[in-house]
Amino acid sequence: MVKRAGTFIETARKEMANPLSQAFLSVLPPGFAVMKQLSMSSFPDPAAAIELSKAIRQETLTRLPELLEEFEENALSNGARVFWAGDSAAANEYILNLCREKGAAFVTKGKSMITEETGLNSALEEGGIEVFETDLGEFITQQMGRPPFHIVGPAINIPAAEISEIFLEKGIISEPSNDAVALGKSVRAYLRDRFKSVKVGITGINMAVSSSGAIINVENEGNIRLTKSSPETLVAVMSIEKVVPDMNDALHILRILCRHCVGQKISGYVTIDTGPAKQSELDGPKELHIIILDNGRSEIYRDSLTRQALKCIRCGACLNICPVYSKIGGYPYGFAYSGPMGQMLNPLFLGFHRTKDLFSACTLCGACRDACPAGIDHPGLFLYYRSLIAENADQKEKALYASAAAAMQSGLAWRLGIKTARAILNRNARDGYVSSISGIKKGWFSNRDLPEIAKKTFHELWKELNRKDT
Amino acid sequence: MRVSLFIPCTVDIFMPDIGAAVFSLLKRLGCEVVYHQEQTCCGQAHFNAGRRKDAAKLARRFISIFEHDDNIVCPSGSCVYMVKKHYPELFGGDVRWLKRAKRLGERVFELSEFIVSRLGIKDTDARFNGKVAYHESCHLLRGLGVTGYAKELISRVNGAQVVPLAGADSCCGFGGEFSNNYPEISGALVSDKVKNFIASGADVIILSEPGCLLNIMGYLHRHHPDKKAMHIANFLASQ
Repeated sequence: MVKRAGTFIETARKEMANPLSQAFLSVLPPGFAVMKQLSMSSFPDPAAAIELSKAIRQETLTRLPELLEEFEENALSNGARVFWAGDSAAANEYILNLCREKGAAFVTKGKSMITEETGLNSALEEGGIEVFETDLGEFITQQMGRPPFHIVGPAINIPAAEISEIFLEKGIISEPSNDAVALGKSVRAYLRDRFKSVKVGITGINMAVSSSGAIINVENEGNIRLTKSSPETLVAVMSIEKVVPDMNDALHILRILCRHCVGQKISGYVTIDTGPAKQSELDGPKELHIIILDNGRSEIYRDSLTRQALKCIRCGACLNICPVYSKIGGYPYGFAYSGPMGQMLNPLFLGFHRTKDLFSACTLCGACRDACPAGIDHPGLFLYYRSLIAENADQKEKALYASAAAAMQSGLAWRLGIKTARAILNRNARDGYVSSISGIKKGWFSNRDLPEIAKKTFHELWKELNRKDT
Repeated sequence: MRVSLFIPCTVDIFMPDIGAAVFSLLKRLGCEVVYHQEQTCCGQAHFNAGRRKDAAKLARRFISIFEHDDNIVCPSGSCVYMVKKHYPELFGGDVRWLKRAKRLGERVFELSEFIVSRLGIKDTDARFNGKVAYHESCHLLRGLGVTGYAKELISRVNGAQVVPLAGADSCCGFGGEFSNNYPEISGALVSDKVKNFIASGADVIILSEPGCLLNIMGYLHRHHPDKKAMHIANFLASQ
């Protein structure tokens, strides 16, 4: 995963000027949001179903260390191998070594956000292992060297003609075609060939069940299923927060996850694996390696406020409802996660200073908080991130806020300040409105005129109102 | 009932007519209205910019000024949200101030919420001739969860015909500093809002938040000067 933090505004501008991205954004995310509502109404009591998912995530968070230990114990007794990876590098190195040990020239991969986070593809490729993404959208973005546009539809904004072009170039098709079904079929045939001889398959994990050591994957295309069943060695990567206490909890989160992703009651395929194939079983991997990745999450967990970020189940409901995402799409967020989910997670992984735009570019409208089935207060976290970097802020900005606060501490100074500002600012006013300050039409004045400072502030008006009244 | 006016700094400085409308409306509804002249700002802008130390100073000042009032009424959902929800966050380690903040928070009301839930009035005897649309301000709708009161009051205004507004509950893109720092994104959002308003066929868009008003009114003034945005206080005060 190429980390492109720091290019938020430039990328956002580009995407806002891209008619294809705009066409997609005006249709699909709101469509997903409507489908979510429809599918949630299949619960006898949708609000109670949400309360339950929030409670499960809260319980997971509260008991995280003990649940992880229990999960490890059960996974080991099922015959899986468990590797605790402190960071991305450790996880990638483990997988690369395993591929070499198994003599794998290539791997197939199920769609996973966690390996986007760790940058596994480039680590493997640098190590001489070819990587095949098997989710159609991920496959397309991989061919194009692009990050995901949307968590559910990584390549949904890319037109067929462009896909045809790159597929021709890469030898996936031999004749150009703009037919989406034909393009999909060609990828299917291309990947089936890979599955036939794959030695190592890699997937993420949607849920890890503590009480049984089972791992659960959710998908609609069936390629995770093939990646799980074709190779002799399967590697499944999870971040520490993917654990849930028991199967009842897992199944409830599954119901909520599918509904919040794309409005399905259940996804096309759900695979539950409890360890590698037993001796009596005909198929399934001989070795199952589960990587439990920390990658800074222990630190995130240690802070009682940032801890709630670990409740996220990666459903993407927050993306579909976010006004900012709806205008800029997934690219500007610069890392694996986009939308409010990315604004929340990416700064925790990449550092607050590099990612300031992510938590600043928020209107605090609260739509993501309302949409989140895990009970995360995203805007609350963004405000907290802002406070963490405020002390090191730009000196000019710091001074501006400090002097305003100082003036506001004294009614008299504040009133005097307003009078001074009025004398200066209102010089630019015409019929009660200001269109720019000293010729600067940026910022607030880019789109709108603002009222001049009132001839009489309310404070000044009050004396008259009160007098008239008595 | 005795009511203390909590006037947002944006209203004080840029739109004092909203404050005057709140005053005359509450008088008309039988309230005794007081205004603490030493009030300045609740500190929301500082808090949202991450400047919590400055915000805490302003919060302590605000609490000291208002804590002896039984009913504090404000024509802004986001300022009320600041006092009710964010003040307690500022005093996490300071039990005495935390207690004072929480006690005060219980007595702070958004204007429409106060009229309906505290005064028990649904019909303010206002009159307005024309079609109106209502924009759902985020802090009323999702922050405080009190948007129903405003809609109830608007629906009973004599002569006003309320028309549906597509995307009424989507953010107008103000967000204070957001609209200054990300003008392109903010512009796209307010442009959507205004497109929907114009398509609704309403003459006036009504809202309950000075921030949204600055944004939408300012955009209308530049691009659609024939269309008007109005704060609910002015709307309910009109007769």
